[in-house]
Amino acid sequence: MGFFDVLLQQVINGVSLGAMYALLALGFTMVYGIIELINFAHFNVFMVGSFVGLWVFEAMGFSGQSEVLYGLPLIGVLLAGLVVVMLATGFLGVAIERIALRPLRGVSGTAPMITTIGVSYILFNLVLLTVGANTLNYANPLPKVSWDIGQATLRLREVLLWVVSFALMLGLHYFVRYTKMGKAMQATAQDQEAARMMGVDVDRVVVMAFFLGSALAGAAGMIFGLYYNYTSFIIGYTAGLRAFTAAVLGGIGNIPGAMLGGVLIGLIESLGGQYLEVRWTDVIIFSILVLVLVFRPAGLFGRAAPSKS
Amino acid sequence: MATTPNIEGARGVFGTFWGHVLSKERQRVVALVLLAAAIAFPLIDGNEGDIDAAANATAFAILALGLNIVVGFAGLLDLGYAAFFAIGAYTYGIFSSYQIQPEWSSFWEPFQWLGLVARMHVEGVPIDHAHFQVSFWLMLPVSAVVAAFFGVLFGAPTLRLKGDYLAIVTLGFGEIVPIVARNTPYLTNGAQGLNGALPPSLPWYGSFGVASTPFYYLGVGLIVFLIFVSMRLKDSRIGRAWLAIREDEIAAEAMGVNRTKLKLLAFAVGAGFAGMTGTFYVAKLQTATPEMFTFPVSVMLLVMIVLGGMGSVAGVVVGTLILQLLQSWFLQDLTQWVHALGRVTGIGVLERVDLVQSIELIFGVILVVMMLYRRQGLIPERRAVTALTHAEQTAVPSRGGLKGELKPLHRTAVDPNQPLLQIRGLAKAFGGIQAVKSVDLTMMPGSIVAVIGPNGSGKTTLFNLVTGLTRPDAGRVTLAGEDITGQGPHVIVEKGIARTFQNLRLFPNMTLMENLLVGTHTRTSTGPVGAVLRTPGVRHEEAAARERALEVLGIFGNRLMPRREHLARTLSYANRRRLEIARAIVTEPMLLLLDEPTAGMNPTETLELTDQIRGLRDRGISILLIEHKLNVVNEIAEKVIVLDHGEKIAEGSPAEVHRNEEVLRAYLGRTATAAARAAAAS
Repeated sequence: MGFFDVLLQQVINGVSLGAMYALLALGFTMVYGIIELINFAHFNVFMVGSFVGLWVFEAMGFSGQSEVLYGLPLIGVLLAGLVVVMLATGFLGVAIERIALRPLRGVSGTAPMITTIGVSYILFNLVLLTVGANTLNYANPLPKVSWDIGQATLRLREVLLWVVSFALMLGLHYFVRYTKMGKAMQATAQDQEAARMMGVDVDRVVVMAFFLGSALAGAAGMIFGLYYNYTSFIIGYTAGLRAFTAAVLGGIGNIPGAMLGGVLIGLIESLGGQYLEVRWTDVIIFSILVLVLVFRPAGLFGRAAPSKS
Repeated sequence: MATTPNIEGARGVFGTFWGHVLSKERQRVVALVLLAAAIAFPLIDGNEGDIDAAANATAFAILALGLNIVVGFAGLLDLGYAAFFAIGAYTYGIFSSYQIQPEWSSFWEPFQWLGLVARMHVEGVPIDHAHFQVSFWLMLPVSAVVAAFFGVLFGAPTLRLKGDYLAIVTLGFGEIVPIVARNTPYLTNGAQGLNGALPPSLPWYGSFGVASTPFYYLGVGLIVFLIFVSMRLKDSRIGRAWLAIREDEIAAEAMGVNRTKLKLLAFAVGAGFAGMTGTFYVAKLQTATPEMFTFPVSVMLLVMIVLGGMGSVAGVVVGTLILQLLQSWFLQDLTQWVHALGRVTGIGVLERVDLVQSIELIFGVILVVMMLYRRQGLIPERRAVTALTHAEQTAVPSRGGLKGELKPLHRTAVDPNQPLLQIRGLAKAFGGIQAVKSVDLTMMPGSIVAVIGPNGSGKTTLFNLVTGLTRPDAGRVTLAGEDITGQGPHVIVEKGIARTFQNLRLFPNMTLMENLLVGTHTRTSTGPVGAVLRTPGVRHEEAAARERALEVLGIFGNRLMPRREHLARTLSYANRRRLEIARAIVTEPMLLLLDEPTAGMNPTETLELTDQIRGLRDRGISILLIEHKLNVVNEIAEKVIVLDHGEKIAEGSPAEVHRNEEVLRAYLGRTATAAARAAAAS
């Protein structure tokens, strides 16, 4: 493989990872934008989504990667899986908000963040205790179709991943931009008090942000399984930290920023893994997080700096 | 608990005395019993396994106490605390094991002479090597310093930002430190772990070896040391500044606390203790692997302090004890019982449940439940103060005032012929809105100047620009001839400008006295070491600051005095305003900026405060105030500045300003007739 083939291959990989991080980063950014809370539970909502996806595919009679579908049946099965997963994690997010976070709304200091850490830990350990610590083989109906571009390979799963992620992000973008609820979300993010005065039901907006963010995290979890062909209770932590870095990179609270940030982090991971060393990837990503916070706290695409008020 | 000079109140003396003594004595007795139990434990329980578990547990108690300084005192959520533990562990491990063996050369001879290095000769190997064997007792402080250094290094970039970012950066830091340890096998032996770290030794005891008991006693000693340090720090200038930052960063800064510096200090102190503990732990286990320092360790520590009570030293000790007992004993017993129950009832699930496995699930549940239902923890940092007696509540408020023998309210003499405050062309825009447009203002010492104007005319922004909370786009601010433009708020307080806030920014969970003592921050100098040692100089400074605070409370008669040990959040609205003014006065300002001081006060209280403000001026404090009550303005202001849409539209005596057409137009509408009618009516 020549230099450019390797580069192309890693870009393909990176964009795929990036699409997944972007979906995950959107949840962080939406919740942060609206209630200024870093939601550590999001890490493991993603992980739970991955397991729900596995169970849905298994319930539909798939196991492992031996049984594959083509054409419309494939699209149908994927869509069904996606819908179930997104609904499940979406409602999980809503439940987390209602039970653990709403009573703490308006409490200043570290309490809400500590609660999300607690919730994250509960999810993590519930899955660990029920499913066990073993890495599970993912049920995956995707055919092993691929195309050669030079010596690089573009697999069908990557194309599908891009399409799904892009469609979800586009949908979110239109939702936030053009629907009444979306506009209410924007208004609440700008000034909660003023939005409330104008008749916005802030509680509903927050619930919506949790629902959408968690649903996207669930989608990302399913994509993780389909992409890597495995899932495990431990996947939330690393992916979550990278996705959070993506959100910061894009300017936290900034929705398009989170998408671009996700893709950037994905590229950094794949190219860093290729040209540097895989075992240092997390160190590189963490260094980026710190550097961005020091030199561009508003993120690469953000407008206002996060300030303490 | 704060010790205050005894001022006779109207309260039932005996009841208070008994209540106080009892609770203090009770605390002391409980502490002594716990300590005696801790000392007696290895003697009573001869089981080497139990003592070993307890010795390991002491390490986590020390860590929890250290983390409490960061999270509990300063309110900084550090999720990577285990990383500093790791740094301390590896620092000692590397310098006391066979991990690094440089070739022997004359360079090592002085170190050999100091006993830090040994010359190692192996039969058949032609070249000798150096073997590091730095003493445990030397490395204990050294690894604390190394860990503190890393704390500063990683804290510094994020401490300027909102607190949440610190959580995520420390989380990332906590993740990468074990990764780095795994990826640098030449230093740390990677995943296999560093082996053969030397145990400590004492001249009269010899090497601790692998015996648990000496480590246990060393651990208990370190816990006692940390409790002592925590208590001393908390009840000091440094500790109060940390609490103030935790309560309200902006207000802390406006009271003269350099928040970046103090946050870094908290972070460094916490990291230092973690580093020290790392050394202890490695010496105990004589090994260190990257897996010993991962995220679950940090979470467990967080659970300990959340359970006991964030910021409460006693709470952290109890929380740690409960969790350790839970992990080592209760859960196993409980599992046995559940299994027995399962056998009796025939429910298969119960027979197989292993509660020991679910300890982390329990951690998660503790975090959520405590945050939802008992945020202050099992042993709260603050206890409720007994309510005022009926006599105190119904006492006729005495107005107080400044008639008594007060020391000068500010220390620097002011030249009466030079303007005290000069503002030239000050401007600030927020996005498209020009909040303040080229404002000029000159104020002579000993005067009272009022700023009035419709809502949104830029009055508070002007205050924020003068006090450094907002950086101006253009213009100059000089105080007594010294340019203070663009200085940080804490610097400006030190130069002699203090302020109150329109929306009140007290430290709600601190007592009145502590609120005032934060105000003395810039006029005192106790550092962390002084606070712990409590030298005569420090005691003297502390006593003087308290005396000062009591004097200033006296300005408001008996309105605040009987409540001085109450939490600020329990005060009435008017009393909060008074406390905020008192807190500003103890900073010993030349110039006091009052943002709507009489808001929320009834006419009588307003008159009372007007008197008191005039009293302050008579004692040499110049006053710039924003006020909407025009009778107050007429009463006390010598000069009035009128702002509208960020511009100064009038300046003069209250009477002149009242007649000013433009002022009437700004306040009452655009038509001249309306203005005229209004003028006639007034």
